[in-house]
Amino acid sequence: MNKSKGILVLAQNNEKTSYVQQACLLALSLKHTNPDCKISIVTDDSISAKYKNLFDNIIEIPWQDDAQDTEWKIQNRWKLYHCSPYEQTIVMDTDMLVLQDISTWWDFLSNYELFFTTNVYTYRGKRVTGDYYRKAFVNNNLPNLYSGVHYFEKSDFALEFYTWLELVMQNWQKFYEIFIEHDRPTWCSVDVCAAIVTVILNCEDKISNKVVKFPSFTHMKPNIQEWYTNKDKWQDCVGTYFNNNAGLKIGNHQQTGILHYTENDFVKPYMLSTYYGKLEHDRK
Amino acid sequence: MTKGALLIARNNGELDYVKQAVFLAKRIKKYLNIPTSIITDSVDYIKESFDKTVFDEIIKVEYTNDLNTRNFYDGTMFYKTANFKNNYRINAYDLSPYDETLLLDTDYIISNDLFKSCFASSNDLQMFTKAHDVANIRDPREFIHLSEYSIDFYWATVVFFRKTPTNKIFFDLIKHIQENWYHYVSVYQLNSTLFRNDFAFSIAIHIMNGFSSGDFVSPLPGKHLYTIDKDILWKLTDDKFIFLVEKKDYAGEYTAVSTEGQSIHVMNKFSLERVIDNE
Repeated sequence: MNKSKGILVLAQNNEKTSYVQQACLLALSLKHTNPDCKISIVTDDSISAKYKNLFDNIIEIPWQDDAQDTEWKIQNRWKLYHCSPYEQTIVMDTDMLVLQDISTWWDFLSNYELFFTTNVYTYRGKRVTGDYYRKAFVNNNLPNLYSGVHYFEKSDFALEFYTWLELVMQNWQKFYEIFIEHDRPTWCSVDVCAAIVTVILNCEDKISNKVVKFPSFTHMKPNIQEWYTNKDKWQDCVGTYFNNNAGLKIGNHQQTGILHYTENDFVKPYMLSTYYGKLEHDRK
Repeated sequence: MTKGALLIARNNGELDYVKQAVFLAKRIKKYLNIPTSIITDSVDYIKESFDKTVFDEIIKVEYTNDLNTRNFYDGTMFYKTANFKNNYRINAYDLSPYDETLLLDTDYIISNDLFKSCFASSNDLQMFTKAHDVANIRDPREFIHLSEYSIDFYWATVVFFRKTPTNKIFFDLIKHIQENWYHYVSVYQLNSTLFRNDFAFSIAIHIMNGFSSGDFVSPLPGKHLYTIDKDILWKLTDDKFIFLVEKKDYAGEYTAVSTEGQSIHVMNKFSLERVIDNE
């Protein structure tokens, strides 16, 4: 019997940024490239009526909002396992676009109960080797996991992992003191917390695969793009060319796979309207 | 299938590319045992000054005084500004008399038989993308991407191509890029408007790969070794080179480096010509 499967995103707006709008753009891109793929959103914020039907489920954040007092609202991430409506779930950050058919990823991911990406790519398609944003991982021998795209199947092992993730995220300072001697971050990071759980459960080989090129994503943080000097914003360095067919080039490089654009002002109204127009056209 | 090497030699008043081509054609015969043809605007000069039988065919093109100029260094401390007559490479596909062509810069000094395997390979287009500086002290980034934000760098110094419909499109695309060079300089965020074949070929490859990295071009056999024009070729005996390579942070001082059995791109053409003259 086929298991239910779908994408799940957590979106909580703050004063500056509409993460729900980002989630809508993500959903539009997904529907454009993967029309049969389901997507659900976990949010307490309102969604424009125009975009509500992009989502198969609109799920309230369970058990209270743990991120009420913070700008960077990640404290609820551990709840995604518990509120996913799917047996097999790919979790994505909201600031992503799905630019190609990823239906075959499900076949690969079916081999795992839990899977985290460990290799990400530059906009030029090169595997990221720089450690600018990953010093805590490298200098403390933590597994180099990216939670921006990860997968779980409802299972005892995945439940155990997420139960630990809840514990670590709710007590992140204490766990950082134990596991991170060098370059200790001063904020709670899901990637770091997931890496700590991986060490506790000694399960790196069970939840990652350093050889495969996918599932993965293009990571647009500027200082891992193999540029000569550090930059504040990638959008100050290379152009974005989003065409009428929803094709995207960044600095002359055609983008495929999943794009993690990371800068909130990347989202433009014409991107939403282009995708929406194409969906409407396809429906007719 | 006919096969051979193709050289382009258009003198600029400072450098004698014809002399370099004659020298290289002899080495191509020795190491690769294939004929060499030359594209040149100096047919009479070849006939008067050299043994023209080193060339299989001499393909005449009109003399032009191009606007493209650049500095040609002879070691760290000396340079001359001269015409950079590099705009005929795009015609190599149309002008080559061969079905299978090994297109070479005249300053790429063949010293082994590795390129014989180009002709045995089923890959219709072969070029170098990675390169290795003989001095190994300089920042190689200018030869990795066309600029900080731009695309992968491919070397047009050595190009193996077969006459195929796809390669015809590729060379036509390079012509289009040259004709609209300033547009591509802007779009590809190049730092200089100087037309460079390496750049035009790289842009065409990028486009043929669907605006991404890909396998439209296969790598040539061996490694692309180079010395820049701030190094000096001091001596060349058969396949043994002695270079004086610039010292890091000590302008005008050099370190001796020798190689054996390696084909090398010798960008200091003045020193190459001195070595040829002393043969």
